[in-house]
Amino acid sequence: MEKQFLQLIHDHQEIIYKISALYRDSKEDREDLFQEIVYQLWKSYPGFRGASKVSTWMYRIALNTALAIYRKPRLKIDHYPELPPKLHSLREESISENEDRLFEALGKLSDAEKAIVALYLDEFSYKEMAAITGFSETNIGVRLNRIKNKLKEIIK
Amino acid sequence: MELDEFKSGWRNAGNRIKSQEDLEKMTKLVNHPVIKRIKTRLAIQIVVLLLFLLVYYDWFDGDQKPLYANLALVTGLVLYVLNDVVGYLSLMKPVGESNLRQSVLDYLMRVKRLSFFSLLVTLLYSSSIVIFFTSTIVFTKEKWLVLLFSTVIVCQLIILSSKLWSRWIKKLNQQIKDFDVDDNRTA
Repeated sequence: MEKQFLQLIHDHQEIIYKISALYRDSKEDREDLFQEIVYQLWKSYPGFRGASKVSTWMYRIALNTALAIYRKPRLKIDHYPELPPKLHSLREESISENEDRLFEALGKLSDAEKAIVALYLDEFSYKEMAAITGFSETNIGVRLNRIKNKLKEIIK
Repeated sequence: MELDEFKSGWRNAGNRIKSQEDLEKMTKLVNHPVIKRIKTRLAIQIVVLLLFLLVYYDWFDGDQKPLYANLALVTGLVLYVLNDVVGYLSLMKPVGESNLRQSVLDYLMRVKRLSFFSLLVTLLYSSSIVIFFTSTIVFTKEKWLVLLFSTVIVCQLIILSSKLWSRWIKKLNQQIKDFDVDDNRTA
């Protein structure tokens, strides 16, 4: 079972990476969350019967872990009111500029909005998004419009 | 810029591949960054408290104290250790597969429960130590002052701890509010 699990996670690990980058600011915190999600997926794996898509199961566990799990206290990180043009030079060099700016922009959303936008960007249907987040389908649409406007303001 | 324009960036993110060996290590509790730290601290705390339980009777003249003082001390210490173990086990609990809103709600309830018992047990534990050490003391003005000073310190620690718990609960409440406010708007 462990071999199957590791192959599955290895093939879909970009989901864990993206959720970690979306919900944590520092490299260390992202690594911790990545590990926490892998651990939680492993614990939940015996109950995963393949009734839902692998990505749905992984997003569900990853988002639940990011939002509702013990997080160690950390220093408050001040966000810039606008994106600095040379933002990429302020953070770890391994992250590309585009990716850095993407996560910086998305990082300004609330935790609930981050979950919606992550699922939207990975092309989940409104129905799937509603099932994972607990919002109604109508509410997903409303919130997506607000998120679009918010992001327009952020990247203006 | 439209939200859809973020899609290519999102799709391309996360190409920093971890090997299966790295992933395998992450499934082991022993390598868990946060839990490992908590577990070590818990183990040290339990060993120290149990050692204290073994020696206190001889070192601190337990035989000369009244029975109620001995019972209070032992109960306080055992409650303290139990509370730590329950808190640890609660952290070990895997996240559920319910929806995100429900998951945060469940977590909030768990944190509220933990905070209540943690503060209560700290209060009982501190009181039990005071009861034990003051049970046979003939109080003078200086000793009253020492007792008062110790009580103030303990109260400060409890207030500080309560503020930390409150901050955590407030953040979770805010998350719930984020979910509910929008649902009310579209209802």
